[in-house]
Amino acid sequence: MKSSFQLALPVAILAIVFSGVGRAADTSHPALSEGDLQAKIQYCTYCHQPSGQGYVGASPIPRLAGQQTEYFKNQLQAFIDRRRVNVFMFKVAHSLNPDMLPSLAEHINELNPKPAAAGPSELVDEGKKIFEGGVPEANIPACAVCHGLEARGKGPVPRLAGQIYPYIIKVLQNWGKERGQDPAHPDTSAIMEPVAHGLNDSQIKAVAAYLSSLE
Amino acid sequence: MKLSARKLALPSVILVFGCAVAALAEESTNPAGLSEQDVQAKIQFCTYCHQPSGQGFMAGAYPIPRLAGQQSEYFKNQLQAFIDRRRVNVFMFEVAHSLSPEMLTALATHFRDLNPKPLGGAPTELVATGKKIFQEGVPDAKVPACATCHGPEAKGNGQFPRLAGQLYPYIVKVLTNFDQERGQGGPANPDTSAIMKPIAHNLTESQIAAVAAYLSYLE
Repeated sequence: MKSSFQLALPVAILAIVFSGVGRAADTSHPALSEGDLQAKIQYCTYCHQPSGQGYVGASPIPRLAGQQTEYFKNQLQAFIDRRRVNVFMFKVAHSLNPDMLPSLAEHINELNPKPAAAGPSELVDEGKKIFEGGVPEANIPACAVCHGLEARGKGPVPRLAGQIYPYIIKVLQNWGKERGQDPAHPDTSAIMEPVAHGLNDSQIKAVAAYLSSLE
Repeated sequence: MKLSARKLALPSVILVFGCAVAALAEESTNPAGLSEQDVQAKIQFCTYCHQPSGQGFMAGAYPIPRLAGQQSEYFKNQLQAFIDRRRVNVFMFEVAHSLSPEMLTALATHFRDLNPKPLGGAPTELVATGKKIFQEGVPDAKVPACATCHGPEAKGNGQFPRLAGQLYPYIVKVLTNFDQERGQGGPANPDTSAIMKPIAHNLTESQIAAVAAYLSYLE
């Protein structure tokens, strides 16, 4: 009978081969653990806040809570691909394990804090009118047609309800400078270009005030 | 008798003026009062939602119907129904109520001539059943064959709409909610939507899904 010593080499070879087979199935990124995910969530929430409600610092940090998962993942990918340009978010996004995107998206989608930074209440009525009726004289369609009457969004169309007031303003005023930045790879942000351009500042503020008040 | 310049003056002016007006009239292909620019701006407005080729849009909160290839009579009837609030849709009323009759005609003509591929996306396993319903109806439920009015290729005819290539979720929504959206003018203002009411009622949910799936793939 073979001694344990004589079995050692074949066992070692088997162990190496089988562990190699295991690793061959691995992707280029290490496997995701619950600890990794929780650590990443904590990292996101340093800025976006524990309940994902957003924050008004030197730059407005958007609400992530309740965001459509498809839209959420699309935006992170856009940052990675530099189709959407933001100096902070590129650094954050490109180090993400892509396997983490679905879990992050799901986590964020389930959060539901109250709106954190609503705009001036006197602008809300006008904002609601624009959101639900558009501005036909300026050929601007109703936002609600795509974003839904409750501004919850759907699929690739983002939730706007409860978004941070100064963030909505910044985004609409700077659409062409931040989105669709790779002419070789046009993306879904193009659909909003004419709308963002066509709205004037007071309309932007009104619709931002309305949306930032919605739960 | 010598023709003096003075005697020729008035007839000359009338001639030149008349020719100028005639020339201008021939230049514009649009009905009186409508500039090409107005029409193009309005088309751009429609296509924000209905998309540049009028193919419709499925990715948003509500399915936005295909307009491409639509029968112009049906197209104009629907816009008029929105204006008259016989057909109820919060967004379309806002859009439609400022449209002039001349603009309705210009828009109908534009969309009628578009022909993009259907967006598709419906469950393919339903298509065979849907085709049977479209071509044969559901006799037990007193549902006539859709093809009878909508045409064998679902291209429509006059006031009967084209259904070919219409969005799957849109057809489902319309047939399911027919009563809530159409024929809202009350007994004093019945309209052609009445013809579809019993059909929409009698089709079951799964029949609606099947016929919608079939239609959504037709070119």
